[in-house]
Amino acid sequence: MANDIRAAVIGLGKMGLLHASTLGAMGGVKVVALCEKSRFLTRFARKAVPSVTVVEEVSQLAGKGLDVVFVTTPIPSHTPIVRQLYLEGIASNVFSEKTLSSNHSDSLELCSLAERASGVTMVGYQRRFGVTFAKARELLHEGSIGEAESFEAHAFSSDFAGVEGGDMLTGRGGVLRDLGSHAIDMALWFFGDLTPVRSTAPSPSSSVPTLPMTFGARTAGGLEGEIKASWSVKGYRMAEIGISVKGSRGMVSASDDMVVLTSADGATKRFYRQDLHDDVPFLLGGPEYFRQDAEMIRCLREGTSPEDSFLSASRVDGIIDAAESFLK
Amino acid sequence: MTADHRFVLVGDNSFHGISHLSQEKARTRGEGVLDPGNAAGLVQLALENGAEGFMFSVSPTTLAILRATRRRPSGSSMDLYPIVPYAYEYVSKSTRSGGITGMAKSFMAETLRSWNIAAIWKSAAGVLTTSPPDLLEAYVRYEVSRVRSAAGGGAAMRSMLLHEVVTDMALALDLKWVFEAHLKCSRRLKMSAGFETRNFSSLVNKLRDWQMPMEGLTIAAPFNSVGFLMTPSKEECERALAHARGATVIAMSVLAAGYLKLPEAVEYVSGLPHLSGVVAGISNESQAVETFGSLSKRFRPPKTERV
Repeated sequence: MANDIRAAVIGLGKMGLLHASTLGAMGGVKVVALCEKSRFLTRFARKAVPSVTVVEEVSQLAGKGLDVVFVTTPIPSHTPIVRQLYLEGIASNVFSEKTLSSNHSDSLELCSLAERASGVTMVGYQRRFGVTFAKARELLHEGSIGEAESFEAHAFSSDFAGVEGGDMLTGRGGVLRDLGSHAIDMALWFFGDLTPVRSTAPSPSSSVPTLPMTFGARTAGGLEGEIKASWSVKGYRMAEIGISVKGSRGMVSASDDMVVLTSADGATKRFYRQDLHDDVPFLLGGPEYFRQDAEMIRCLREGTSPEDSFLSASRVDGIIDAAESFLK
Repeated sequence: MTADHRFVLVGDNSFHGISHLSQEKARTRGEGVLDPGNAAGLVQLALENGAEGFMFSVSPTTLAILRATRRRPSGSSMDLYPIVPYAYEYVSKSTRSGGITGMAKSFMAETLRSWNIAAIWKSAAGVLTTSPPDLLEAYVRYEVSRVRSAAGGGAAMRSMLLHEVVTDMALALDLKWVFEAHLKCSRRLKMSAGFETRNFSSLVNKLRDWQMPMEGLTIAAPFNSVGFLMTPSKEECERALAHARGATVIAMSVLAAGYLKLPEAVEYVSGLPHLSGVVAGISNESQAVETFGSLSKRFRPPKTERV
């Protein structure tokens, strides 16, 4: 693709604005259309961003010569929107915010549609582009802690700490899908494969969405671990994803901010983002968002597939379905 | 050659429980610094040790700090540099109230409750005509009225800065109207138009492309010796400083979120000639004395040494 890549963004919530702006700041990409069902927002957007076509229906994106569409609407709407993009030939290259869909079977359907369209796909697991997680994965794979023996991954936020009831949470798809999916994807990225197993520690019912959820998981190599997710942990002003791996010669832990490498004799080495060349050409939200969108655009130009494709993300949905069935 | 008048401000991150080094660090600070009364004490101590003003995100916490500071001796005459919107609060509201539309409705209700006639008028005009500049002005007027009411008449609002999320989105999407509208509104309110950014070099280049004057602008951006948050690079940001002459440029993240030791941090910003101000956060009394004592000596030399 020698010319500018023509992009559209569906959904003008915070993630839609973030992707539209990040793409806008990127050389060689032009955001040509925005799609949002709220009348108020579309009226505002038409005046605020006059150079971009703003529509209310996905079907109105047809015929706009789009190279790529970013879907940033709430999780339950991903399947119908992505399906429509493929079936109506609106775009063959699609980025979807996580999770890919609300369940594994829908995700497999979207993978199959994507395969027929032969396009590039990506799902917004941006933590893979965070320098701390990349460093921890590198330390693990180069054997810095010896043979891995167990792991723990978590996703915590204080979004609903002290909030009673869960009416406002239904549109978010549950804590495992909305937040825990990042921890699951991180574990998949570290270990390649993962199967949920019944946890020995009882976890609260998934019918109470503000309570934490925990489940056990086993990798193909037999490594066992635990995945925890909660919207209601105090002290997590921003959502935090973390992963710790215990090995025969030490332990490595990573969060969004730092990596801690602990050797068997108890000595620790910390790597902060400041140590890890966390620079990007344009910074909005966090450096990982720019790297993620840049990777999508690179793959599109080169005709390659990103690591966090629909297929990879569908495995996260499979794990969530299985874990939720244990927790019901 | 240094900026004509260099000043030092106290920042509010720790009062909101923020640490950009790690959330773990913020959690271990304890609850004390989150109490507005304690925070007001720290602000006063910073003022007594050389800080001239307070840069803060406008939130219930910082408004409470302003009310508490107003009752203290040196608090009444400080300079104020509020940043709006308090992105965290708005994102939380958006999360809990069903997205941006829900958040906009909540803002309208708050504007009406504020009884700020100019803000209500501009909001109504903005909604009826869907005029983005009118809505921006309504919002800025609403925030100005909240700050003035909390701070009292003694404090001087030098600039109201648009938060980096707004500035940088406007920059990325080439929304010149945001900068023009804020400039116009700020002139009407007799203060400098402020922009907080994490893309200082892009902002300066864009303002030059648009041929917008630097004079009368206040820009807050990260500057530190390790280049943390200096986008796209430390060198580019340093180069852009020279092109921002006329603007009041305030360095943020000077300690790289607590990664740097104070002497190294102070040495670096003191050596950047076109910086007008520095903002630094504190979470306890000894930090207030050390940080502002050191910045006052090195960054803001005695008047006779200024050019």
